[in-house]
Amino acid sequence: MKPIPTLIRREWLQHRFGWSLMAGIPLGLGLLLVAFGQVQVESDEIEQAGAALPTMLALASIAASALLLFGIAWLTSVILVTGLSRRDHADRSVEFWLSLPVGHVPSLAVPLGVHLILVPAAALVVGLLGGVLVSLVLVTRVAGVGAWFSLPWGALLPATLAGAGRVLAGLPLATLWLAPIVMAVVLFTAWFRRWGLVIVAVGIGVGSVVLERLFGQPLLSQAVAALARNAGRSIVGAGRVEMGTHSPEQAEAVLRLVPGLALADLGHAVSLLASPLLLGGLIVAAGCFALLVDWRRRGAQAAG
Amino acid sequence: MNTAITDLLVEARALTVRYGAKRAVDDVSFTIPKGRVVGLLGHNGAGKTTLMKALVGLARPEGDLRVLGLDPRRQRVQLLASACYIPDVAILPRWARVEDLITLLSGLHPKFSAERARQLLRRTSVGLGDKVRTLSKGMVVQAHLALIAAIDARLMILDEPTLGLDVLSRKAFYEMLIDEWCDGERSVVISTHQVEEIESLLSDVLMLNEGKLVLSISLGDIDARFVALSHDAAVAEQMAAAHPLLRYRTGPGPGGNAAIFDGPPPAHVQALGQRVRPSLVDLFVALTRRPELDRTQF
Repeated sequence: MKPIPTLIRREWLQHRFGWSLMAGIPLGLGLLLVAFGQVQVESDEIEQAGAALPTMLALASIAASALLLFGIAWLTSVILVTGLSRRDHADRSVEFWLSLPVGHVPSLAVPLGVHLILVPAAALVVGLLGGVLVSLVLVTRVAGVGAWFSLPWGALLPATLAGAGRVLAGLPLATLWLAPIVMAVVLFTAWFRRWGLVIVAVGIGVGSVVLERLFGQPLLSQAVAALARNAGRSIVGAGRVEMGTHSPEQAEAVLRLVPGLALADLGHAVSLLASPLLLGGLIVAAGCFALLVDWRRRGAQAAG
Repeated sequence: MNTAITDLLVEARALTVRYGAKRAVDDVSFTIPKGRVVGLLGHNGAGKTTLMKALVGLARPEGDLRVLGLDPRRQRVQLLASACYIPDVAILPRWARVEDLITLLSGLHPKFSAERARQLLRRTSVGLGDKVRTLSKGMVVQAHLALIAAIDARLMILDEPTLGLDVLSRKAFYEMLIDEWCDGERSVVISTHQVEEIESLLSDVLMLNEGKLVLSISLGDIDARFVALSHDAAVAEQMAAAHPLLRYRTGPGPGGNAAIFDGPPPAHVQALGQRVRPSLVDLFVALTRRPELDRTQF
């Protein structure tokens, strides 16, 4: 019996078609666009970039593919997660899952982890690989296939992997920052169905206004804004990164700086964790999760 | 019946389950030894489903409840590893293929046998590659029962398991239950409205009425306790004067009447009719109907 791998497998079995479309359609469209669409590069840009143009095109297409798929996956996952607590209610299969010898905690935690961390991470990796294919087509169209094989892969690959690694490492950190908001929505959706998201959104909005206007305390709005800001910084841009001014000809040299810069940025993101705001947020998230477990333990009935 | 404590799979004492102010199960006490097939009977809303949920830890009861020696609320996961429960049929995830469910159950239930499940499914009209959403209600029921029957559990709790099945499929399920489940060590608790069909399978009966347990008895003891007298219409008033639990028609014509008594009726009343075996249905009606219906019975 392997409950956690099986619960992860359940998510794959249930969502594999949707996830495949989510990755396949943007990549497929991107490939079609670069293969058959109009690729327009201004002559002064060509002149400015010089020999570094294929490198810049490859880097841009790999990064764009990876970040596009990552962004789509993350957004999709956040939307799916908000309805997670009620997803098996429409067909009443929740009673089937409750009849199995699986604890309430893993039954709730594993899908959250899959959707908030594993799926965006997998999408990033798929985007990277797809981006390599897109770069092949794009560079070939602009500069010929030989240019693609002549790219400075010794610098490009480590830079790409370092960038992806930075995002992947930052993903769990971002999830921690967003946990109180996400868990509040999941909990309120469990209690109040579709009204849950509305209640949380209105609660935060109205609560912020009331605290600020009546009591002069912008605490709530500032806290929510800080959570969102730090979540973004956890993914990228946690610290100030000095790259200096480099000419396109020095592209390869710049690429070699990326792994060190990514590691430094990750360090800044980790240092952000030492924050009372995060601690408070995690307490709220843990409280919401505990209430969710209790709701499920009572047979996952609706409130009222 | 002398039953050792270790032979008891279920022990309930003063069990009450409330939903707000309503007592869905009201001060119920019973035991279920191993090797029994227990019919849980009651009208809609009598508390059968709530009682079954309490047995598997999905309802919060007051009182004492031990199932397989475990507290269903605190030890739910350990309990469900040795018990299987069909809360309601036709609740399989609609997105899943049958083979997916076998894969998932293999990973989530320690006593589930994938090979056994495939073997049982071969007896049905359900294919391994079928998606649940494409199956008819009866086929979903067949699939669910096959999956649950592939679990080597000590206690099987079935809430209306044959709802939606045609008569052939119901017969096949009952045969499977007898041939492969009832081995003297395992017990089954089954609720159904098709009382006549399963009467021959049952060893014990629990009857609920508005949350209360009105009867907990083995089928063998029913004959010893309840007396049904078949009689002519001419002696109906004398029968009625003896205050039977129920008077009912058994067939057309002046001889088609019967009365059920709890305990032996007076000798002069017994002489008025012929003793027959009370059916479970008639007993169920006698013990669970509302009093105001008595006046409209005849």
